[in-house]
Amino acid sequence: MPEQPPVRAERTRTAALLDTLRSALGEDLLEAVSAADMDEAAIGPSALLRAVEILRSAGFNMLADIGVVDHLPLSPRFEVAYHLQIIDAAAKPVVPARFRLRVFPDDADPVVPSLVSIWPNANWAEREAFDLFGIKFEGHINLKRILMPDDWVGYPLRKDYPLRGTDRGFVAGGRQGSVPPVDLQQ
Amino acid sequence: MSTLDLSRLESSPDLLISQGDDRDSLVISMGPQHPSTHGVLRVMLKLDGETVISSESEIGFLHTGIEKQAENLFWQQTVTVVDRADYLAPLSNSLCYVLAAEKLLGIDGQIPVRAQVLRVIFTELTRIASHLVQLGTHAMDLGAQSIFMYAFEMREQILRIMEFVTGARMHQSWFRIGGLALDVPVGFIDLLDKFIESFPERLSDMRAILEKNVIIMDRLIGVGRISAEDAIAWGLTGPNLRGSGVAYDVRKALPYSGYENYDFDICVHDGGDCYSRFVVRLNEMYQAWRIIKQGRDRFPGGPVVIDDPKIVPPAKTVIQHSMEALIHHFKLVSSGFNVPEGRIYQTVESPRGELGMYVVSAGGNKPWRVRWRPPSFYNLQALGALAPGNLIADLVAIIGSLDPVFGEVDR
Repeated sequence: MPEQPPVRAERTRTAALLDTLRSALGEDLLEAVSAADMDEAAIGPSALLRAVEILRSAGFNMLADIGVVDHLPLSPRFEVAYHLQIIDAAAKPVVPARFRLRVFPDDADPVVPSLVSIWPNANWAEREAFDLFGIKFEGHINLKRILMPDDWVGYPLRKDYPLRGTDRGFVAGGRQGSVPPVDLQQ
Repeated sequence: MSTLDLSRLESSPDLLISQGDDRDSLVISMGPQHPSTHGVLRVMLKLDGETVISSESEIGFLHTGIEKQAENLFWQQTVTVVDRADYLAPLSNSLCYVLAAEKLLGIDGQIPVRAQVLRVIFTELTRIASHLVQLGTHAMDLGAQSIFMYAFEMREQILRIMEFVTGARMHQSWFRIGGLALDVPVGFIDLLDKFIESFPERLSDMRAILEKNVIIMDRLIGVGRISAEDAIAWGLTGPNLRGSGVAYDVRKALPYSGYENYDFDICVHDGGDCYSRFVVRLNEMYQAWRIIKQGRDRFPGGPVVIDDPKIVPPAKTVIQHSMEALIHHFKLVSSGFNVPEGRIYQTVESPRGELGMYVVSAGGNKPWRVRWRPPSFYNLQALGALAPGNLIADLVAIIGSLDPVFGEVDR
């Protein structure tokens, strides 16, 4: 299906943004491209808060999602993808402009500044990224596991985490001890 | 934002009644088995009498690692696990995933019209079925037991159509990358016609019982109010956002599967409270019915999958005569197909809101990453902001009106 005309109109709204980001972030901006689905910028974690400030002043008022991708064995390994959109409450119908910020934290110690103070819904999204990928969010008010049990060890959605047959079974009262490895031949 | 210190509470039950300033406050755990938490939600409540001071939701009881599984299945196989996230609207999930994969493959312009119309008809049927469950259980939470039966009876009719066409009542997995798994059987149109004919009357029955019902209005109006600005900041979408007066509907904003060709209205209500969200869902069922009717009227002929043996297995009749088709079949079954490297954020309007999928392909025969944007996850998160100041009984109404589905929240 060809893209709809109103969408194209929205894209022109974000085209100037890429230039603004380029000039404001300088070296911290790794890449700024107009991808097939939306415009996007790749940045280092230190530039996240500045980039968000620029995007917010451009009207991006909704944090749609925070998703993490583990690119192992490539480096940088982790990509934290922020999908932002402009929801103009007065428009009928609302046609959102979208923007993707791709943040590439350090491989060994992935730390990204938290956006909870800017968007309240970053709270759970960041907790999930921490729970499943081990990304730490600096300044988060309550960074603890959300989907996995509190005492779980490891980050299940990382590429080096096995799909099945982990060496940890359920141990009443916590998973401090480990059970012998399970051999699950298919 | 909740400030409960759960670790402290869990280690010492004596501390449940906390000391110091909130000598009079009581902390209780609601759920995860509580019927009004719609599945497996646990809410830790700090109470002053019956009034909620703060609440903290605990989720994850239904976590099944769907995103991890999706990375370990072929592109086509992933449709089956994707279905299981939002189990009340499985076809919306698979539609989102299938659209993303088709865009990455570059075949999104070739999907046959018949497949597109059927996709629209079936996702709208799903929407009605899902809203019926929400309305039925929501009314039951408020004490109106009989509505639940009416709603489930109506839903049953839809599930029968689903079963007749796809062979499954709940997890149809009927959409395929490139079209549909099967064409509809003979007799489908009669069933659909029967549904189209009977639904408006039943819907207006339901509306007559609920919409101006004094008890419903008493229980819902003014409860759980959220302004448009706050709703946007919390990332609410779908009926929850439209209940705050924001006319955002992905089907209108960024149409897919030919939604731009259908005539329907975005249902908006300005109250921002539970009642507004409730009315939006009632009206949306009527709009979904309008879309289904238009789809049925145009119902085009032709194939339901694209003709590309590299992606869609050839028909059995062809396989029996053609060596090449047999090889294609073998190849697709044993190792699937590769999808060019790329990433895409695809959204659809699921019954719960903007369902997004950030699909990343590394060029292999399995998705590198399928990241959900589960609308329920973000909708439910706003509970922490909506709960304070309400009675426990109203909290039950608020949870119901946010319409979380835990298969999707926990994935």
